[in-house]
Amino acid sequence: MEEVCVNAATKFTQWFSFCLHHRTANILKMAEDDDKLYRWETAYERTWEAIKEDEEGSLQASISEITHKAKRRRLLDRIGNVRLGMMRHVYLIIDMSSAMSDPDLKPSRLVTSVKLLENFVEEYFDQNPISQLGIILTRNKRAEKITELGGNPRRHIAALQNISKKPCQGEPSLQNSLDMAAQTLKHMPSHASREILIIFGSLTTCDPGDVLATIKMLKDNAIRCSVIGLSAEVRVCKKLSHDTQGDYNVILDEPHFKDLLNAHVSPPPASGNTESSLIRMGFPHHQQNVEKDKEERPSMCMCHLDDKATQNFSSGGYFCPQCRSKYCELPVECKSCALTLVSAPHLARSYHHLFPLPQFKEAPSSSVPNSESLFCYGCQISLKDKTIYTCTKCNQIFCIDCDLLAHETLHCCPGCASSRNTQQIGFIDSLT
Amino acid sequence: MAEVQCSLLVIIIDTNPVWWGQHFLQDNSQCDFFGCLDSILVFANSHLMMKHGNQLAIIASHTNQSYFLYPQGKIEEPCVSDPNSETTDENGTRALSDGRYELFTQVDEQITTQVKSLVLGSEEGQLYSDCVIAGSLAMALCFIHRMEKQMHLGEKMSSRILVIKGSEDNPAQYMNFMNTVFSAQKQNVVMDGCILGKDSGLLQQACDITGGTYLKLPTVTGLLQYLLCVFLPDPDVRHKLTLPARVQVDYRAACFCHRNLIDIGYVCSVCLSIFCSFSPICSTCQTTFKFLGPPKILKKKIKKTNV
Amino acid sequence: MAAKFSSRKLDCKDLYGYLRTLPPNILDKLYNHPATCLAVFRELPELAKHCVMRILFVEQAVPQAVVAHWVSSKYHEEHKLAMAALTDLRVWHEQPLPGGMLGFILNQTFRSNMKIALLGGGEPWTGGGPLPPDKHAKDAQFLDNYAQERWECVLYYMVGSSECVSRDIKGVLLHAGLMKAESEEATPTITPLGFQFLLMESSSQVWFFMLQYLDTLTTRGMDLVESLSFLFQLSFSIFGKDYATEGMSEAQLRLLQHLREFGLVYQRKRKSQRYYPTRLAINLASGLSQFSTMAAAAQKGFIVVETNYRLYAYTNSQLQIALIALFCEMLYRFPNMVVGNITRDSIHSALSCGITGDQIISYLKTHAHEQISLKNPVLPPTVTDQIHLWEMERDRFRFTDGVLYNQFLSQSDFELLRDYAKDLGVLVWDKPARRVMVVARKGHDEHIIYLSIYLYSN
Repeated sequence: MEEVCVNAATKFTQWFSFCLHHRTANILKMAEDDDKLYRWETAYERTWEAIKEDEEGSLQASISEITHKAKRRRLLDRIGNVRLGMMRHVYLIIDMSSAMSDPDLKPSRLVTSVKLLENFVEEYFDQNPISQLGIILTRNKRAEKITELGGNPRRHIAALQNISKKPCQGEPSLQNSLDMAAQTLKHMPSHASREILIIFGSLTTCDPGDVLATIKMLKDNAIRCSVIGLSAEVRVCKKLSHDTQGDYNVILDEPHFKDLLNAHVSPPPASGNTESSLIRMGFPHHQQNVEKDKEERPSMCMCHLDDKATQNFSSGGYFCPQCRSKYCELPVECKSCALTLVSAPHLARSYHHLFPLPQFKEAPSSSVPNSESLFCYGCQISLKDKTIYTCTKCNQIFCIDCDLLAHETLHCCPGCASSRNTQQIGFIDSLT
Repeated sequence: MAEVQCSLLVIIIDTNPVWWGQHFLQDNSQCDFFGCLDSILVFANSHLMMKHGNQLAIIASHTNQSYFLYPQGKIEEPCVSDPNSETTDENGTRALSDGRYELFTQVDEQITTQVKSLVLGSEEGQLYSDCVIAGSLAMALCFIHRMEKQMHLGEKMSSRILVIKGSEDNPAQYMNFMNTVFSAQKQNVVMDGCILGKDSGLLQQACDITGGTYLKLPTVTGLLQYLLCVFLPDPDVRHKLTLPARVQVDYRAACFCHRNLIDIGYVCSVCLSIFCSFSPICSTCQTTFKFLGPPKILKKKIKKTNV
Repeated sequence: MAAKFSSRKLDCKDLYGYLRTLPPNILDKLYNHPATCLAVFRELPELAKHCVMRILFVEQAVPQAVVAHWVSSKYHEEHKLAMAALTDLRVWHEQPLPGGMLGFILNQTFRSNMKIALLGGGEPWTGGGPLPPDKHAKDAQFLDNYAQERWECVLYYMVGSSECVSRDIKGVLLHAGLMKAESEEATPTITPLGFQFLLMESSSQVWFFMLQYLDTLTTRGMDLVESLSFLFQLSFSIFGKDYATEGMSEAQLRLLQHLREFGLVYQRKRKSQRYYPTRLAINLASGLSQFSTMAAAAQKGFIVVETNYRLYAYTNSQLQIALIALFCEMLYRFPNMVVGNITRDSIHSALSCGITGDQIISYLKTHAHEQISLKNPVLPPTVTDQIHLWEMERDRFRFTDGVLYNQFLSQSDFELLRDYAKDLGVLVWDKPARRVMVVARKGHDEHIIYLSIYLYSN
């Protein structure tokens, strides 16, 4: 009896010292690779000193300057000329544990997340037209795939809307869900960027085995895992994202959550070992009836073969140029010959990631001659602000609004596009 | 307080001298530039006439520049009902000369003077057969963005762009052009195309993506009637009217190497350039490719049987 | 009772409604001026506008079948209304085509004047040559202030806190029923209608006032067509520009003096050779169906309503305070603001004047303080809902047209008929003890037949 106890005690001490060792090692390692400190460890910030009164005692000028700077910073953060993983395969893992029913985001974490994710899915497909997405849930220590990898935003959004009706239960399992995602992602072609994005509300995870082994496996397969935490920083998430070169962020509030999600919309830099290749793609054009000489005959489309409920007979559609199977929307991977079918505008939609518009130069308006009668080249407004923005290529002057518009949505400079020498961006540029 | 609906129409006129010159010679002066400009001005004024709050902007797309014909940059507020302080005296004498609505006279005056200064001011250089349409579109979107920001509470504005174009497409503008189209789609701006010359593939796609109307005119002589019938109604009225059916848009891609339209092509996984045949190095981003042949398809098939 | 209420509600027609009341010969005469054509055109239904534009440059009659084909079949009803409007206003008329079909052709005067407005030509709108630059040129700000001052003068008069206004204005107000006087000599007092008038937006106020003014014109021996044309001409003039009075007829000059008094035009001196139209005039033809943007921008909001029904108004204008006091229980008065409570009693007293809840809410909305007006919704929903609820408290009666049946010979007759009515769902009320019942009007006819059959068979 005594022996057993002693035995157990030694084992315990052994385990304990191991743990301790492991932990210190971890902490040391963390300190090594993480030179940025926690906020509470940094020097005291005097945020209020940034705000200064102007001559009339008003704070407006300095506040608007701060917001102004914040607007621009978002743009400046972007880096150009990096190889990007344009073909993304992303699995979205959504925590559905009981922690997600917390009402700290109104009305609950889950409802807020679903609302923001719907927006995210739409944006994702808008910006990454030839990419795919899948959704996995985790609750009750299990993982559950609700949509396969696919390129149809409507299907994913419908699935998302469904899950907010389900109850949040039990604990999440990080390992199970990662394994499930990796199983599919592993087999994706090597030129594609493989990613997992986790929305994690819980502070714990309940795993059947060693989650670190899974993380290693993910790392070996070049699967990039990013985590957005909803409650507090969790060590295992940090390790996961750090090892796989993903991002780990904990939200501050709902707008911040939205910003973090938006950061995942644009394609990430390609990891070193992704191979590049030429991919065969089909560009079908929409046809009203198959052949002119035959009479118009309705046919089934391949994408709706499985669901019996909908009427899917129609005479028009997109026909695969290789095997003539019909689809009612693009982009899609042909089910019979595995050719990726896209339309040219789909590809064009993502070109701006590759050739971002260079930053405009910020300068005080007094630096230009006759600064009283300056007009923004884009919208013709007379420039009254103290700062103006100049395109470095065509030297036209813009106002802050046009600057933001040009960089955020337009992705081209109205001045450059209006001049013969500068109207061409990208491809030919890189050649000459 | 009812929401006020007004609409902003931006007309982009192609002022490529080569195209207009050629046409003038071919058709025995059936369609000269100023005749068409008159039609466009009547159309623009008709738009202003439809509703009190309607607003207008006209941009000339020249071979080497985009030029605001109306409103002029010198005016502080391009509100249609605002006076043009500089030309009041001149207009004052003109406006009283006939029974025309003064505002319309003002619009006409401004545009004709601006066109004059554009034509006279453009330097004699090399002549091109296309115009900088993408730049003009980008400017139009900037202008629309600003007008929408300037709106008062309780007002609603729907904006659209009408492109009246004769000269050819320039493939070099493809990227800029597509960027403006997607931006217009995001801003809920409808793009209409009225083609005087050859069919424009770019504009066809633009109209289809943004939900606008594309119309290639059989003759330029009836321009005004076409404009009034097809392009005067706002997009929210259009579904009530019977208008020309949507054209079938060719969404096939043009390869970057020869600019041929292709059905099946190769796309670079790094930069998404399109090629019509396999090559070991991407000419755009200089990536070397690994040959991917049958194994890829095989893999997929295996995957499929698993799932 | 409800009938009484509805009749007391202020009936403010739009231009279209007004024009329809005019006799055809006057309409035809109106189209002699490009400005009226423009104004009429803008007030047409959307589809009708497009119809006009499509045939404006077509000189022949257009077959009706073609016109009907312009609109997709789903919107056929709307199209019919639009076509009816064009016929009603005599913008176009039917004309037989060779081949027996009917076609539409635009009213010739309307067509030519529209063309003049759009393309030019014809007689200038205003007489006189170009004006030399004005030594006393006025800017937009001045004109806005002037217009507001003049117009508020009329409103002040209505609430009784102002010096007297001219006899003409008094006449119009009395004629419109906005004010009433016990005798010829007594000072008029405001009526419930007047209160409703005060709560309207200023552009609607001006329009309503001008309509009433036009009604009284003929009694003063002025020509309706000439005055209307001049009004529309004003509304299409350019703000901030001066126009010459030279070449205007005697009647027009008289009208100008009246308009000057309301603040629709600015003239420095009575004999001055030039006048400036103000925003009130320019918004006249445009701002009736729409909330005019310029006026909103010129007028600053000052009212803050809190969720606890407390209202703060940053104003020292007698008029606004009097208006707020109509539906609000005043608490404190400060040099630059007043504080009040919106209570059930205060709302009820306003409602009993014939003011509707919607009017109160729209007043509060349009005058909301800048900071508040950025919020969505502008007013706290609790307050707006409660005002509606209080309003509904008064509407506990429902009125149904009905026919009384009585003097049944037997209880069984009564029951038979009553059950029949019940089955049809037309029984409004019955009292078996006295054998009386009320049947809805639409069921009445069916009953008569049934009743007669029943009686004949006996």
